[in-house]
Amino acid sequence: MTSALEQRLDATFAALADPTRRAILARLATGDATVNELAEPFALSLPGISKHLKVLERSGLITRRREAQFRPCHLEREALDAAVDWIETNRRLWSERFDKLDEHLRTVHTPSNGDHRD
Amino acid sequence: MTEHVLRYTRVFDAPRELVFSCMVEPEHMTHFWGPIGVTTPLDQITVDARPGGAFTTVMVNDADGSTYPTSARYTEVSAPERLSWVEAHSGMTVTVRFTDLGDDRTQVDIEQAHVPAQMLDPGAQAGFRTSLDRFAAHLDRLTRAERS
Repeated sequence: MTSALEQRLDATFAALADPTRRAILARLATGDATVNELAEPFALSLPGISKHLKVLERSGLITRRREAQFRPCHLEREALDAAVDWIETNRRLWSERFDKLDEHLRTVHTPSNGDHRD
Repeated sequence: MTEHVLRYTRVFDAPRELVFSCMVEPEHMTHFWGPIGVTTPLDQITVDARPGGAFTTVMVNDADGSTYPTSARYTEVSAPERLSWVEAHSGMTVTVRFTDLGDDRTQVDIEQAHVPAQMLDPGAQAGFRTSLDRFAAHLDRLTRAERS
């Protein structure tokens, strides 16, 4: 894995680590929304929401259109997919590693008869 | 502070001491460390199983021979219950817990957490800085090209 990708993932995971930001992403998955629309379900001030949006924007998970008056936020699915792909690759690595370890343990350890539980 | 944590669990039909040994002895690790289609040659595994000790592997793709070197440093080695290391490149901490379930069965829990860059060891921090410097230099070149 390249370090550029790792740095990108670093920012993505840092952004995803916060429950409010995950809720914002979940809302944006249903369609673009303005800051006011995003702030509504949370007990947060507009500056509070803006802070979260800046973190999300820096991580590349969302973009905001320049031309529109209310600058609606847009979920960048590819950035989110990259993080999900990484998690999936990592999960597969451990899963396959454990399959092999299980096999290896069978060759080095024979469960004693009688007391072995299924 | 909340961190992004990934968890994996598996139960093995073997006693805890043996399962723990498998995770820290290169002679065992070479048999399973690489996932499917990937080999981890014994002579390229370094395990210095004590806090601060090095943990490096080179995984070799069976199909095309491409290699994936990894480098980490142990932060905790408490046989046979707990093992943890920090990956130098990504700053990812991996913690492995071994639970004795009785009847020669052992549960292994893997927990991977991303730690902030400032908590990495100085070597890794230097690595991060080097990348950032290169990125800054690259940006500088681009902006100069635009200006001319």
